[in-house]
Amino acid sequence: MSTAVRKLVHLIGFSALLIALAAALNFAVDPLQLLRPARFYQPMYSNDTRMQNAGLIRSEDFDTVFMGTSLAIHFRQSDIDRILGVRSLKLAMTGSNSREQSFVLAAALARGPSRIIWQMDDWIFRDAPDIDHNDSFPADLYRKNAKGVAGYLLSGAMARESLWTLARAAPPLRNLATRLTTDSLMKFAIPRVDDIHVLAPDFDVAQDYNAARARASFAYLTDPSRSAYLAEGYAFEAMVRNFERDAVDLIARHPDVAFDIYFPPYSILQFVALRDASPATLKIVYDFTGYVSRRLATFPNARLHDFRGARQITHDLANYRDAIHHSPAIDLKVLSYLADGTYLVDRTAPTAPLRWLQAQVEAYRPETLAQ
Amino acid sequence: MLFNSYPFIFLFLPIVLLGYFALGRTGQPAPVIWLALASLLFYAVSNWQFVILLLASIAFNYLIGLLLISRRLSGRLRFCVLTIGVAGDLLALGTFKYAGFLAANLNALLSTGFHLDILLPVGISFYTFTQIAFLVDAYRGRVAHYALPHYALFVTYFPHLIAGPILHHKDMIPQFEDAATKRPNAHLILCGLIIFAIGLFKKTCLADGIQPLVALAFGSAAPTFDQAWIGALAYTFQLYFDFSGYSDMAIGISLMFGVFLPVNFNSPYKATSIVEFWRRWHITLSQFLRDYLYIPLGGNRHGRVLRTLNLMVTMLLGGLWHGAAWTFVAWGALHGAYLCINHAWTRFGPRSTSRATTAAGFVLTFLSVVVAWVFFRADSMATAVTVLSKMTDPTQLTFGHTEMIGLGQVALYAAIAWLAPNTQAIMGYDHDRRVVGESVGAWLQRPGFIYAGAAALAFGILGIQQHSEFIYFRF
Repeated sequence: MSTAVRKLVHLIGFSALLIALAAALNFAVDPLQLLRPARFYQPMYSNDTRMQNAGLIRSEDFDTVFMGTSLAIHFRQSDIDRILGVRSLKLAMTGSNSREQSFVLAAALARGPSRIIWQMDDWIFRDAPDIDHNDSFPADLYRKNAKGVAGYLLSGAMARESLWTLARAAPPLRNLATRLTTDSLMKFAIPRVDDIHVLAPDFDVAQDYNAARARASFAYLTDPSRSAYLAEGYAFEAMVRNFERDAVDLIARHPDVAFDIYFPPYSILQFVALRDASPATLKIVYDFTGYVSRRLATFPNARLHDFRGARQITHDLANYRDAIHHSPAIDLKVLSYLADGTYLVDRTAPTAPLRWLQAQVEAYRPETLAQ
Repeated sequence: MLFNSYPFIFLFLPIVLLGYFALGRTGQPAPVIWLALASLLFYAVSNWQFVILLLASIAFNYLIGLLLISRRLSGRLRFCVLTIGVAGDLLALGTFKYAGFLAANLNALLSTGFHLDILLPVGISFYTFTQIAFLVDAYRGRVAHYALPHYALFVTYFPHLIAGPILHHKDMIPQFEDAATKRPNAHLILCGLIIFAIGLFKKTCLADGIQPLVALAFGSAAPTFDQAWIGALAYTFQLYFDFSGYSDMAIGISLMFGVFLPVNFNSPYKATSIVEFWRRWHITLSQFLRDYLYIPLGGNRHGRVLRTLNLMVTMLLGGLWHGAAWTFVAWGALHGAYLCINHAWTRFGPRSTSRATTAAGFVLTFLSVVVAWVFFRADSMATAVTVLSKMTDPTQLTFGHTEMIGLGQVALYAAIAWLAPNTQAIMGYDHDRRVVGESVGAWLQRPGFIYAGAAALAFGILGIQQHSEFIYFRF
């Protein structure tokens, strides 16, 4: 064997050894709890929910799943449990589309929950890439197939998290490692599941959620140079197709699971912005949500709660940080309305709440904004 | 297919290498055809819809090249053939890359309603430029007759196809014709693998590692002073490690096949002037622009005014080559202006080679480059102006935990870019002499060197994320 060949063998061999060591470390520690729930160390969690959910589904006990977008991301599981009397698992994902949500829900349904609470709006049903062509979504982690597990075990970032987890478990390093654990440095930096994506206790809600910000958002949306974006991705037929594929199919395949679906309380400004800057899009929103309301009414295991007409919330702009995102206080109101069914849509008149909304939107005058 | 992916590293590359050397025993042209087919497969895996375009481009340019080489045509007719060839290439490039941009600007100017949604074929800028150079050289009588498989491989050769380096036919085709490259050379494979490992480490650990910081400046929220600087600096280093990592990987892979690719980066952020920066950054593009645009325009042969004009035109078109957007035009214009100022300073400024002058030149050059990268990275001119205005407004500061850690990370990357030797220096890679590993002979003999290379490879593989394209794939 020549010197170069010997060196080549050494190089490849040592490289393989290092990779095998990292994979073994990831397998043993399993920081995502993908392979088994953590028993010998204090698990930590990540705000990267598309990745984190794959582990939560396998490691947590739950009978209810809470799904949604950024509008559902700040809910506390403990609040959901307390108000609704369930054992919940929040799997909301910021900016998620119906394909992603349906895929994650299907994975969670394999664990046998009895109830799904689903924050649903027209926006999630715009066309989106297939789950396997979505670069930001680790579908194989959920499938736990060879590719997904190999990618997980062969991840240097995970090996770093595994080492850090070990450091936090080792008494001499515990204090230092715990103090240095922040989401700027580490992926898994949250000590409790309940704290995933919730606002920090010292978060200044009033500064972030106020009427001035809501009005500024309205001005931004209705600016002629940007208003074209309001219509982006809105096509009635495509949205209906996506709704049937991602929501109806899931509901129909799980008749023993209760689906509590709710339209979130956007501020009235969102619809007024559409009315003023993109009426064709508003018509699609009305037509589509009317279709959804009628369709859901046909499933005995599905209940729709429509909060869009909840005037006491939607007209109080202090509840919002833009035209759609509501404050944590409204999270609690949503949960209590879900519990007592205040905004439950009557199956015999599924589009009645839509008509209330339309009346409110038509009546809302821009001069109201100045108040 | 991406170099930084498991299928490429564990499947595609080993199979293609084995096939190439196995067929190498049968003599020409089987290994060349094998490599060309493998290159097409490499391209087709993620860009199958543009394979026909690539093949049509090769056929078109090869035929035009044959006409130009045959020398049976008269001078005027030859020029017409060249014009048709170059125009055809530019038409294809213009259609796929610039038609949408043109339509958007017409709409803005004339309130028309043109809407073009054309997908950009990956690598089109690179393989178009490569072939234009071939046609121009054929017209100038500097090209021998090449067999079609060798020409096809020259264009499609997968290490460079997507994002360069921009190859020259006179450099590459003789290597493809050389029988020695068809025999496995353990020394070249070893050195190639280490260079590939360094490139992979740069991409997956360094470039992808700093990428989240870029959002501090270019994210949805307006940045503060510190965030704007950290984000702009993070992008400065991300782009360098991403693109030079890709180039290293291309050179390393090619070396395993016994083929030496030209060096594309030579520690550009160590430059002490903009002129020097452009001798160190994306070297093959600079050479192309110099040989096939700047010099044909007249270069510096017709006085200072025309030289300035030629420089500006060259850099503006160089900017536009990167992408169909005004931000790239602004980036090119800035660099054109920098170069003009640099030349004027060299001519009229005080002559000094003191350490202080060199240090000042280094700092000024780096800052100028960072400012220009803001235009290069920004989604729009408005974003670029916002980020730059924030970079000049120290009254607004965040400097929280994220910013402090980000600053530390940027400092670490700066230390690597400024103080560490570059890949060709580490490996003793000399493209012109076709040697590698000689000048570092004793170093290469040490076990530590091999283990460091192995660690780079291991960390590079462990750093592979789900999907992380190279920035220059967009160009």
